[in-house]
Order: sequence, then C-alpha cells, then structure tokens
Amino acid sequence: MPVKNFVLDARLTPPVLRARLAAGPDGRQRLLAPGVGMFRGAPDPGMLVGPDQPIGILEILGVVHHVLAPAGASGLVVAAEEAPRGLAPARRPVGFDDLLLTLDPSATRSESAANQAGPAAGAAVSGAAVLRAPTSGRFYVRSGPGKPAFVSVGAVLEPGQTVGLIEVMKTFSRVLYGGDQLPARARVVRVCQADESDVAQGDPLLEVEPADAAGDPNTKPHLA
Amino acid sequence: MSAKTRGTPAVPMFRRLMVANRGEVAVRIARACDLLGITPVFATSTADRDAGYLRGRETVCIGAARSPQSYLNMQAIVQAARQSECTALHPGWGFLSENPVFAALCEAHGVTFIGPPARAMHLMGKKTPAKSAMRAAGLALIPGSDGILDSAEQAREVADRVGYPVLLKAESGGGGRGMRIARGPDEVASAYADAQAEAIAAFGDGRLYLERLIEGGRHVEIQIMADRYGHVVHLGERDCTVQRNHQKLLEESPSPSLSPDEREKTLAAAVRAAASIGYVGAGTMEFLLDHGTLRFMEMNTRLQVEHSVSEVRSGRDLVVEQIRVAAGHPLSFRQEDVVLTGHAIECRINAEDPSANFKPAPGKIVRWHSPTGDGVRVDTHVDSGYEVPPHYDSLLCKVITAGATRDEAIARMLAALGELVCEGVPTTVPLHLQILRSSAFRTNHYDTRAIPGL
Repeated sequence: MPVKNFVLDARLTPPVLRARLAAGPDGRQRLLAPGVGMFRGAPDPGMLVGPDQPIGILEILGVVHHVLAPAGASGLVVAAEEAPRGLAPARRPVGFDDLLLTLDPSATRSESAANQAGPAAGAAVSGAAVLRAPTSGRFYVRSGPGKPAFVSVGAVLEPGQTVGLIEVMKTFSRVLYGGDQLPARARVVRVCQADESDVAQGDPLLEVEPADAAGDPNTKPHLA
Repeated sequence: MSAKTRGTPAVPMFRRLMVANRGEVAVRIARACDLLGITPVFATSTADRDAGYLRGRETVCIGAARSPQSYLNMQAIVQAARQSECTALHPGWGFLSENPVFAALCEAHGVTFIGPPARAMHLMGKKTPAKSAMRAAGLALIPGSDGILDSAEQAREVADRVGYPVLLKAESGGGGRGMRIARGPDEVASAYADAQAEAIAAFGDGRLYLERLIEGGRHVEIQIMADRYGHVVHLGERDCTVQRNHQKLLEESPSPSLSPDEREKTLAAAVRAAASIGYVGAGTMEFLLDHGTLRFMEMNTRLQVEHSVSEVRSGRDLVVEQIRVAAGHPLSFRQEDVVLTGHAIECRINAEDPSANFKPAPGKIVRWHSPTGDGVRVDTHVDSGYEVPPHYDSLLCKVITAGATRDEAIARMLAALGELVCEGVPTTVPLHLQILRSSAFRTNHYDTRAIPGL
C-alpha cells in the first residue's frame, strides 16, 4: 500500500470481498467463501438475499472484510443442514470455497431466471471456423502487461502467425495459427478467451472466417 | 526425541505445523512432522485438495488453482495457519520459501516461520548483497555487476566491462527462472527484457543483475545447517552439473570433479561465511567450479529439492533438524559427528515429454509403481490415479540411490529407474537412462554446457 501523508480510518471503508456462486442441488444456489478467514454475521434463514447485498463478515488476519453476494445470487436463505443448536460459535473458520450460505431462488424465480440466462456459450457465428487450444494451460492474448494483443477482431491471419501464448507449468509456448479445418488466410471474427484465462485442450481460442480463396490446408495447429 | 539434545533442558516442540506447499514437498515435510509427533495441517489449492497425498490429512483450502491465489497468497496462508491453530509454518522450497515479507508476516501473527531469520534471508535472498557478504568472508566470486542493474543500457555497460558472454539473472530468482544469456552487445537488450518478464511472472520481482557466464564449469553446492546458538556445520557438497535450461536433472555427492584440497578449503570457508552472517537453519551455497576454483554464485536460504542426497550420505534428517532448530533446540550433531559415506545420486523425474522438446505433460497417471530395494529412496506424492495438474511444476518424484562407490550408485539407479512404472503421462526417465549409461557421465567428462550422453 502506498504511504499517504494523511490518516484514513480503515474502519470507514472496510475492504469488500464477493462470495463465489455455485449451483447446488434442487436448483439452489451455494455461496462459497472467497478466501480463508473467520466468518460471522450471516443473514438468518428466511431472509432475502440479492446481488451486492452483505452476507457476513470475513476476518482475515484480524482485518474485517465485508462479504457481498455476487451478481446472479438471489433467493431466500435456507437453514444450514447441521444447524448448531444452543450456543453457536460467534465466528467459524472457513477455507476458500467453503459453504457460507445456501439460497433458494424459487421465491424470486422471475428475477433470477433473467440473471442466470447468460450469453449462449460457445455458439459459433455461422460460417466461422474455430482455432482450438492445442493443450491445457493459461492463455495469454498479449506478450506482457501493457503490450498490444497478438490478434484482434478483424485481423488477417496466416499459417505460422502467433495468436497467443499458453503457459503450462510455468513454461510459455506460442500458439501458432494453422490447421486442417481452418482457412489458410483467415480473418478473426471473435477472440473467445479473455487474457490470462485457463483453457482446456480443445477449448475455442479464436473464431475465424476465410479472408480470401482457400490456400494450402495442410498446416496443423501446434505449439512453437 | 531428547536423546541427542546434548544435555540441554527440555525445549518445547510445536504441536501443529502448517505445511505451506504442495506435492512432493508437502509429503516430505509431513514425514518429518510424523516423526516428531507434530500434526501437519496442509494449506492446499482447489486443484490439489482431492489429491491422494492429502487423504486422511487435515487441510485448509486457501484459494484457487493458480499459485498467486493460493500457494503464493501470503495472507490466506497465514490466516489458515492461525485458524487451524498451527504455531509453526514450513514453507518447503519454491513458492514463498525465500520471501522475507512472508516470514515477517508469519512472525507478526505468532506463527514460527521455519527458515533463517528474516535478516539473513533478506541479505542472502537478494543476491547482490549476498555476494558482498561472501566476498568479505573469503569466498571467491564470479566477476559481474556491483548490484542491481537500472536498465538494459547499464547491463550493456557492465557486460562490455566484464566481457561476453554474460548471464542476466533475477535478483529474486531460483530454479533457473528469470535467467538469460547474452553472447554479444546486441543481445543484451532482448536478454534483459526476456529475463525481466520471466522474473516478474515467476517471482513478482523484475530486478536483474549480471555475471560473466563461465562456460564449461561444474555446478557444485554446499549444504549448511546452523542453529541459533552459533553452531554451523556442513553436510558435504553436491554436484548438480547435469541441468537442462538451468533446471537440475541429476545431482550427486560427492562431486567427482572436486580436488580434496579445494573441497576441504571451501567447506571450511562456507561454514565460516554462514557463521559470519548469523545464519540459522538449512541453507545451500552454490558455487561454480571454474578450473579447479569454487566461485560463489548465490546462497539459497532454504532447503533444496536435492537435500535428500546429503541426507542419504550423512544419515541425518534435515527437515527434522530444521523443525527442531526452529523450535529453539541446538543442533543434534556437531561437525565431527557428520560422517559422509559412499556415493549418492538423485534423479528428478518430471512429467515432461522428451520426444516433444520436454513439453510439460499434465494428465492422469493411470498406473504408478515406485522402485524399491537396497540403497533406493523415492520421494514422491504420486500414486496410481493421481492427476498431474497443469498449474504447477512438473516434478513427479525423486529417486535417490546410494552405493559404496559411484559405479554402484549408478548401477542401482539404472535398476531403480527400470523398475519405475508411470503410465498415463510421459516422463523424463528415458533421458536419465541415457545420461547414466553414457560414457561421458561414467567417466566424468562433462560440464554445464551440455547434458552428458545427449
């Protein structure tokens, strides 16, 4: 943290963490801990929780962090299955991804349905071909922070051209354009992955369309 | 437990210890905890939490698979140690093991960091002050920059002065990451940029220094162990010349190239140097054997992957010793108690494809069998059904063999590697077999420039 020459009372602006959203059984939503710490102050069963609403406090090394419900979270708080009877501990230790709250969205169905309908996953533009990840790893669209992206929408690619980097076990490899199913010269229609996203082998990286008449189709996608 | 404490009054021992590492490292630390009657609690990422080596163990999930969010997430790890009531933390090697800020954070929250004092870690972890301290203690050095480089232009000036080729190295580096060679003035700028980018990605610190590249030397290192009462001992040297892209592949002890005079002189000087900086715990001084002279390169203020070679030769458990020293015990042995016998060799088996330029090969191991037998030790976290995650380094196991002579150790290693079964992912076993069978390795005619047998 940069040292400032005035004192700001940190209690006025506690740091905020957003819980993680996961699907539970019966269409329920599970809100998971965003970090390791001592958790307290969860809303009581039956209360309504929506996006950006506080769902408790996570103390990390003594620092209070407000935990908010993530976008898409909506529903009534469901009582924990192993609800502690009698004297419940004021705070309980949680690890990353541990369950904080279960929400039942059926009470607010119309709202949550709108939230959950995301963009159609993986639907390719008609007529487009897809360059897929040659291996699992982390995909980088640029060679370093602040550097220009290797490719952008509208760019014309030729076989052997670098379209990104994949890091596997700290080793970086270039992803080169080319492949049997892909046009020899192609125009980028869509970059499917954000910078630094984890990709599995075969995940789409780019959608492309032919940039001119088909050329030699015998190049294969490969790592440099 | 108290048999070797040299008559000192009882010193308390930790009850619960956080293992802030993963894989083979975590397994190694837990083994020492089990010997000492300490309960290990494993800090784990989401990628490792279901791994076989954590079955039946206490764990705290500290973050997502990527190491910056888990194994490099200092706050999460210290909080995990606090809430699982651990009073000590072992960082292992790699990740945060040489981070003085992390050590300080542990101490600030009442968790004993098992490693050297932050002061010694800071001095030796930042490699340029380390060189000055070691020069003062009487060790020979490699010519290079007098500290951190400000820019690629300055790197070029220093390189012009010391002579090409030069090696640009990360100030916070280790494990061969963040290093680049420049063979001429026109290569300095690109080597500087590449080394810096890799150093930032691997260590979060892009500062670089420069040394003349000594080609054709041998990589020799000395294992040091010290307690907080000023006792320092060495456990002999290791020869780690066989490397690929600055990643050690095979280590052995004793070094077959070192003359007895130079060995004796440098071991004694290394002990003096460690004492002079008030070092505590396990550490390694790395040297380059340059025409018979050991030139100091850097000190690693932690245990190293290949510590097991020295353990096999000396019969001492260095992780147990580390934990005891951190709890305030004096060393359980003196220099004259350290008897180094025979010859030991370690091969690091990685999940890499030798036929595809050693491309890391994550995936599921369908069948695994560890070699056994006389003089064979295997350190691993892998078992049948283990899934090698793509997020971390590719080490699967270390095979260590011992023998009365180098030839016997090599023969046992060949037998052990022949016995090792790993189905599902390619490994570097064929590479090791090629090295061990080569006449260059057998007759000790090789150096850092090339892998013997390739």
